[in-house]
Amino acid sequence: MATIEARGLGKTYGGKTAVSDLSFEVRPGSVTGFLGPNGAGKSTTMRLMLGLDHGAGTTTFDGRLFTELDHPMRHVGALLEAKPFHPTRKARNHLRMLAAANGIPLARVDEVLGQLGLAEVARKKPKTFSLGMGQRLGLAAALLGDPHTLILDEPANGLDPQGIQWMRQLLKHLAGQGRSVLVSSHLLSEMALLADDLVVIGRGRLISSGPVDDFVRGARGSVVVVRSPQTAQLAELLQRRDEVSAELVDGALQVNGLDAEAVGDLAFDHGIRLHELTTQLATLEEAFLEATAGAEEYLAHEPGHEPPPRPLERPQGGAW
Amino acid sequence: MSAALAYEWTRLRTIRSTWWLTGIAVVIGLLIAFGIGFGSAVDLSNHPRDLGSDRDLIGPIVATSAAAAGAPCLVGYVLAMIGILAWGHEYRHGMIRASLTALNSRGALWVAKFAVAGAWVAVVTFVVTVVSACLGWLFLQDYGVPVFTARTWGVVGREVVYVVVLTWLAMAFTALTRSQAFALVMIFLWPLLVESVITAILNLVPGLRDHSELARFLPFGAGSRMLDVTRDASSLFGSPLSATGGFIVFGGLAAVLMVVSWLLLQRRDA
Repeated sequence: MATIEARGLGKTYGGKTAVSDLSFEVRPGSVTGFLGPNGAGKSTTMRLMLGLDHGAGTTTFDGRLFTELDHPMRHVGALLEAKPFHPTRKARNHLRMLAAANGIPLARVDEVLGQLGLAEVARKKPKTFSLGMGQRLGLAAALLGDPHTLILDEPANGLDPQGIQWMRQLLKHLAGQGRSVLVSSHLLSEMALLADDLVVIGRGRLISSGPVDDFVRGARGSVVVVRSPQTAQLAELLQRRDEVSAELVDGALQVNGLDAEAVGDLAFDHGIRLHELTTQLATLEEAFLEATAGAEEYLAHEPGHEPPPRPLERPQGGAW
Repeated sequence: MSAALAYEWTRLRTIRSTWWLTGIAVVIGLLIAFGIGFGSAVDLSNHPRDLGSDRDLIGPIVATSAAAAGAPCLVGYVLAMIGILAWGHEYRHGMIRASLTALNSRGALWVAKFAVAGAWVAVVTFVVTVVSACLGWLFLQDYGVPVFTARTWGVVGREVVYVVVLTWLAMAFTALTRSQAFALVMIFLWPLLVESVITAILNLVPGLRDHSELARFLPFGAGSRMLDVTRDASSLFGSPLSATGGFIVFGGLAAVLMVVSWLLLQRRDA
């Protein structure tokens, strides 16, 4: 199974930077969510990885460039757009064509059509397909070569809730077999359930890369909630620490910058009685919005309100 | 390369437009051959006479659906649309990204497209011309008109080459513009309107009249000289051009456009 290594990816369109010095890894056996606001450069990055767009940097799949792969669909399966097929070429023929280019037996075409729930429409024209069925056909094409790596751009678009759940189980199953899966999506709640790791970009630059848990825990919305009859004493102790903030909300301290264990130990060491010590994690959506604040390419203004200026860089630590 | 050829071969056969365009080309070719053969037979039946040297022209004309008499090669124009769609569908429906993730070699895809489309139209053209000649023979055999002559076989071969070059030219133009609609308009507009207007300007504008002979180098007009058996050429690039001269001009334009389309395919984002 292959590690995807993207190094120094870059792309400009007419002097405007779409992707800049972007590097990240996708490890085998994981689903890596690829997140960013609209226009952040996710699709461009995926096209760069596959050599479809010309730009800076390289992407290797198990140490080899995409253009060096013999029978590429047997190594990398890609879904890059909503309906990547001719509207009047029958679904089965579309897959037959791709199979012919990659030495894939015809039996695999029927197998993957069955796997994706398309057997009944295999001989129908995709122009009659819903967006969700189109996505399934695109996913069938990506899986056709039984590849060790999948690159999927918004695969959940157009799928109904059952379809989304099915896709989540499928991708988790594929990752469980040791494959590398890179998937972009705007459905953050879905990504929270699906992804093991995240690559977050804004305006073409890397904002964060690593496990989902680390990303969420690092958000300011993730706090340790402490209730104590000695709140003021504990708050004063916390204040003395660098990069730790504590705020009194509804009679409880919300501590940012220390985990629950450390807060508990601190209280114990100073003889402070605790009535509650819980970790309250931010949602992925909260963490994402915080991380990408100011990195949106397209901003919608609230009626009658100018958007406040927001920093691109993620703030480190916090204050009382 | 074999993977790209297998891909393109499957692509060509699994799209309905290939079959109906091929069918239209066959029907047009055979209908015109039927008309020429039947009309000539009726004429010779009603007015028996010695055709003289014109006897040798009927075979080429009936085989080429009158293109050997200077008429537009309709079979070729219809078949060239198959080539236009070969590239047009890539860009019209975003298939180019699917193609390049299935093949990952732009050069192989380019070669395969031109090779497979060229082979397809060559075979269809050969079949249409030979069957057309057979139709002509059926009608004219009783009147002593020779159809399967060396001249006929020569023009059949040249029509095969002409249609392949026309198809490649149309394909290269589509790959350059990435617009099948624009290419479809141009393939008819250029020979029917643009070249006619240029020729008219050269003939009508007093200052340009001395250069009116240059019109013979207009590419589609030059290409038609590959098939025209009604006017003999004085030399390779004389007036009119010889068949070889026409091929060099017409094929030269196609070659230049093909090279540019190759370079742009390598450089452009998919």
